[in-house]
Amino acid sequence: MIQKKICILGAAGVGKTSLTAQFVYSKFSEKYLSSMGVKIDKKVVDVDGTQVNLMIWDIHGEEKYKKIPTSYLRGSSGILMVIDGTRSSTLQTAEEIVERVTAELGSIPLLYLLNKSDLEDAWSISEPDIQKLKDTGNPVYLTSAKTGDNVELSFASIAKAMLNG
Amino acid sequence: MNIPESIRKHLTSHQIEALKPAWVELTSGSEHIKSMGGAWQVYFKGKPQPDQRISDICELLQGMLPIVEDFELPHMQLNNDAYTDILAFKDEQSDWLLFFDVTDKVLQLQKYQQVANELNLLKDQMSRTLGRYVGQEVSQRALDGKLSFKVEGERKEITTLFVDIRGFTPFNESHDAQEVMNTLNQYMNGMLKPILAFDGMIDKIMGDGAMAVFGVLPSDISSVDNAFHAALDIQRQTKATNILRKEAGQPILGVGVGIATGDAVLGILGSHERRAFTAIGKHVNLAARLESNARAGEILMDSKTLSALSDKPQCHKVSIELKGIGKTEVFAILPS
Repeated sequence: MIQKKICILGAAGVGKTSLTAQFVYSKFSEKYLSSMGVKIDKKVVDVDGTQVNLMIWDIHGEEKYKKIPTSYLRGSSGILMVIDGTRSSTLQTAEEIVERVTAELGSIPLLYLLNKSDLEDAWSISEPDIQKLKDTGNPVYLTSAKTGDNVELSFASIAKAMLNG
Repeated sequence: MNIPESIRKHLTSHQIEALKPAWVELTSGSEHIKSMGGAWQVYFKGKPQPDQRISDICELLQGMLPIVEDFELPHMQLNNDAYTDILAFKDEQSDWLLFFDVTDKVLQLQKYQQVANELNLLKDQMSRTLGRYVGQEVSQRALDGKLSFKVEGERKEITTLFVDIRGFTPFNESHDAQEVMNTLNQYMNGMLKPILAFDGMIDKIMGDGAMAVFGVLPSDISSVDNAFHAALDIQRQTKATNILRKEAGQPILGVGVGIATGDAVLGILGSHERRAFTAIGKHVNLAARLESNARAGEILMDSKTLSALSDKPQCHKVSIELKGIGKTEVFAILPS
């Protein structure tokens, strides 16, 4: 079976672990638990009749004094870049990470996930900001790890891009 | 450092034991195991065998080998919830993988990390709430401790703007409460956004109106120019709202704006338990009176505001009897 490694990246508290848990185990917890280092989960998906084993590297949140080691990215075929739609500061963090990822891995499939789309009232990312992300040429999805909105679709989309890439 | 040999031996053995190291020797440039040793039980379910591919028994390493250059994978979570650091390096004969246990260290760090991340999330939440009143940039400055007001007050020349919906009381009385709330929010949006956009600070929201002060928050533009441009934008946004409401067959309303400039004492008013920012000055009362005399779509300003504007707008001078102030010459602008 084809095996592909995906790194799920973003600032702390954007919902990387929750998105992975929703995709792999169909579970969501309101309780926030800070991730350390790397946790690897696996799930087999079907891409146009081809079975792909996704190795999902859920990597700790990027912080000012705790950058993501580039060694984690080695061998990765795709990136899910998560942004918290209720915290615009996480958009800037994502941009910084993308710059480092591109320098390390070159051009590989990357998706922007604007997470927490269920929290409409607290939404802080403007339409021009979303357009700016789309202008990079990478797909942008509004996701909710809580309701599951667009979660399956996002993973399926990165799997397809990795397979065709 | 001159350490006695017995102490050195004791320290080394103690430290190595605590790390529970395991090592795997690989054939140079491949994933195939040559030999292994140490506390392998901590890291692998079964004992790694010679010639086996290491990534077949350690999925963390899939796609990472062969070792091209030395690397380190810190804080890798194992299936049994333990954490390991993995060092990958080469020597002249073989490639090496060294595993050591960092579970205690990571779990301790996790506790600090949890608190730090929760505080950051709380800070972002506070910034968002505050940002709705004073704008994101100012809210961030306040949270960074770079914006403060003296409790005893600070004298400053500022421009005060009052805005209020005309004819709101009869509308309120003749419509359902939910419809009133929705309408109010729609118009308020067009009243408050321009204030924040022109570096104004919303002092109070009062029913169907608001009071804002300009010159309190830092800005590159004068407080008078900011207040006037905010007022023009409020009237523009109200017109835009009315076009949408007309198309939707909903009743339309207008807003009146009053602007005055003068000395004020800025400070914090209230008790220890509940405090609020306040601006006190004669012109504040004047701005409130001007607003209550402004018709729908109109901006009324005092002479001090008009004379300080960098671009004088077309306006007409009127003399109005203001409650508690007396006959006053004011300037009316009806934006096109």
